[in-house]
Amino acid sequence: MTLRLRPRVLSAAIAAVVAAAVPAAAQPMMDELRLIAPAAPGGGWDQTARAMQLALQRAGLVRLVPVENVAGAAGTIGLARFIGNESGRSGVVMVSGLIMLGGIVTQRSPVTLHEVTPLARLTGEYEVIAVPTASPYRTLRDLLDAFLARPESISWAGGSEGGGGEQMLAGMVADALGVAPSRVNYIAFSGGGESLPAILGGQVSVGINGFAEFAPQIEAGTLRPLAISSAVRLPGVNIPTLREQGVDVEFENWRALMAPPGITAADRARLDGLIAAMVRSPEWREALARYRWLDRYLAGEPFGRFVQAEETRVRDVLGKLGFGSRGNEAGTTTEPYPWLVLAGLVAATVFAVREARGRARTGAASPRRDRAPLGLLAGAVALHVALLERAGFLIAAAVLFWLAARAFDPRHPLRDGVFAVALSAAAYLVFARVLQLSLPAGVLAGWL
Amino acid sequence: MDTLELLRGGFASALSWGHLGWAFAGVLLGTVVGVLPGIGPALTVAMLLPITFSLDPVSAFIMFGGIYYGAMYGGSTTSILLNTPGETASIATAMDGYAMARQGRGAAALTTAALGSFVAGTLATVALTFFSPPLASMALRFGPAEYFALSILAFTAVTALLGGSLARGLFSLFLGLALGLIGIDQLTGEARFSFGIPQLLDGIDVLVLVIGLFAVGETFYQAWHHGRDPVEAVALQTFTGMSRDEWRRSWRPWLRGTAIGFPLGVLPVGGSVIPTFLSYAVEKRLSPHPEEFGRGAIEGVAGPEAANNAAAAGVLVPLLTLGLPSSATAAVLLAAFQQYGLQPGPLLFSSRPDLVWTLIASLYIGNVMLLVLNLPLAPVWARVMLVPRPLLFGGILVLASLGTYSLNTSMLDLVLLYAVGAISCVMRVHDVPLVPAVLGLVLGPLAELQCRRALAISEGDPSVFVTRPWCAVLLALAAAALVVPPLVKRRLS
Repeated sequence: MTLRLRPRVLSAAIAAVVAAAVPAAAQPMMDELRLIAPAAPGGGWDQTARAMQLALQRAGLVRLVPVENVAGAAGTIGLARFIGNESGRSGVVMVSGLIMLGGIVTQRSPVTLHEVTPLARLTGEYEVIAVPTASPYRTLRDLLDAFLARPESISWAGGSEGGGGEQMLAGMVADALGVAPSRVNYIAFSGGGESLPAILGGQVSVGINGFAEFAPQIEAGTLRPLAISSAVRLPGVNIPTLREQGVDVEFENWRALMAPPGITAADRARLDGLIAAMVRSPEWREALARYRWLDRYLAGEPFGRFVQAEETRVRDVLGKLGFGSRGNEAGTTTEPYPWLVLAGLVAATVFAVREARGRARTGAASPRRDRAPLGLLAGAVALHVALLERAGFLIAAAVLFWLAARAFDPRHPLRDGVFAVALSAAAYLVFARVLQLSLPAGVLAGWL
Repeated sequence: MDTLELLRGGFASALSWGHLGWAFAGVLLGTVVGVLPGIGPALTVAMLLPITFSLDPVSAFIMFGGIYYGAMYGGSTTSILLNTPGETASIATAMDGYAMARQGRGAAALTTAALGSFVAGTLATVALTFFSPPLASMALRFGPAEYFALSILAFTAVTALLGGSLARGLFSLFLGLALGLIGIDQLTGEARFSFGIPQLLDGIDVLVLVIGLFAVGETFYQAWHHGRDPVEAVALQTFTGMSRDEWRRSWRPWLRGTAIGFPLGVLPVGGSVIPTFLSYAVEKRLSPHPEEFGRGAIEGVAGPEAANNAAAAGVLVPLLTLGLPSSATAAVLLAAFQQYGLQPGPLLFSSRPDLVWTLIASLYIGNVMLLVLNLPLAPVWARVMLVPRPLLFGGILVLASLGTYSLNTSMLDLVLLYAVGAISCVMRVHDVPLVPAVLGLVLGPLAELQCRRALAISEGDPSVFVTRPWCAVLLALAAAALVVPPLVKRRLS
């Protein structure tokens, strides 16, 4: 009996701690809102989710806001999971944006933004084209003259994998100048942070990045901005636009929120109301200022139309850059390195197997072993994997622990059972409740 | 004002009983959460950040310092005691640390790890305090060509890890290299070897491989090898600290580890794999008894642990001086700074000197706290070896599952984890070394990517690798590391 009570006591204590840490308003509009950030910690989508987490909790709009990172492939992995697992669910939204549209095209994703419920655009960021202060290119004109003379001689660095926002902008600039976008010598880095050293150190000719990421460098005078991708100059920012320098390109990296497919009108209205309240809150305003994001709030039907227009544009740009048509389903490649590695693997396997045969002949046959423990262990693992998302972490973990322990020593079923439940419950409470890590609650969802 | 004056100001605001309490809480939380396999420093810091939001900036920064160093250190405990490194930084530690623990010398291994971390962390923080700006601008001279050369140099560390048989070592290495091929080609956006499975587009997470090879593989292997036979208990050494001889053998590796780790942390070269393994390889080469490595050589714990912590401090150099987050953990820290209106960048030191120097002071304090917390705990942790095996392995599997699943909330990762565990069990049975596979997975994609970036920038001209001085030096070192030892051996025999 005491064992069954423990988790409740613990979660009550933990809830009290959490409540004390977050100054609560009168009445939250929602008890729990899960935020899916389809990227690793640290990137733009993750920052958006964590800024929302803070704003929603501090403004007292939602009591509990866990952030789940589902990283990979420009957000399309998170998107596929979102559509697959969360359909029709209320209380969960995903951060999305322009880059996801690009990812859908370049990865030829089987799922698209047509399948989710667009909620609202939140923020926007313009891209800046900049060179280190020591660069010979004083103005955009200098750079573009060199580019027009021999496009490949200009290396452009940007913080996004193939087909991201920076590469799109470089392609659009080339296109506007009448140069085939596929001739842009674009050097991809996995994030703005990774591209900055290469840009600052003059390893590449020119860099493209979000304004917020470049701003501290520009203020310090280590980078010289040549152009910004906004339609008109931003107030208080002395960077000429592409347009006013004769390059007819406008580009904005927007971020938005999506709800799962198939939610009810009532759920949608509730989420709309919540986001509208968050956008107005001083806590969110503060986050916008802190990250230098532009407030680009747009909800409802107009936002749906905006997403469609952007999708058409992204497909067009990426098509010109040569994306979406390369590669094949099996995912083989024409680069030499992978084939060298595979040849090496085959050769090493042949040598290793021959050596093992030689050793086997010369003696030392291993003694016969009892296969039961390994068999039971394999069963425990299989059951655990099958149960995790169906029955929940707690049950799946307890089963794994108990069976694995029995594989090693079957004499203490009760002791092992007690430890199995205690460890699984403790791990679940600490990680899922206190640290807000996402673990499936499963059939015990209501009880915990 | 000169640096010392500013640093004293930092200490003045950081040193109070309340702040020391936050530092202690940060170190404790960072260590405890960082201990779990799969929950690496970046996730630890990200998860614990909301706790600091309700604090004033000074307390919060002090807690960051503690969490950061605590999370970096946490992984070594499970590595040494259970052979289950939870992140790449502590794999090198596991090789000899676990061997020591099996001999009942777990407390000594933990002590040299804690002391090494302290020495390296403190020296590296001193270097951070006084030499940040020149170091950061030197790091900017490293371009893709130099990073390629560096990864080639790191590959030479593999030769120190091949074990008894060249064929089996190479098999392991190529297995890792082949796994590293999976995923989107970063330069072209083209999917490679993903077999139409979207979750494979981002490649195989190195943590899945690490936890599968070590934690799960060890569990499977124990079940296969010992099954239900009663295993004789480990006789813990009654003497729990480090012997005079162990001190004598530890201090040089600490210093060398610091010298290797700190500059490689300053360079954004992707985590602690390169510094820790280079340190391990250097210690093995310099040791008068290299045959002890892999069987419990204390240098193999002292060097990599020092290198790891020194690299962790090195990462802060580009972050604080240039505003460059060169690792995932640094990116999370950057976001945390921004919560307090701090914009890391070239102007950080001049715009908010109060907070920066408080942060630096809190790094010193966090380091001391780490030692205060972990030195007395070493003999206590070492008793983990006495936990009944069924409970130990049950717990390891549960924590491995938890850490892996929460990496990306992915069932595929979980399935991969146990598949890798099964492969690892077979590899252990046939005496195939595991570590080259990890190095292959980490270094292979890095070398390929940087090589192709360098060639793209030079428009396909391969002479960049010899005409750029740093690149040429690093490649020459790599060649020497491969060629010289066999030559010397032949000359001697």
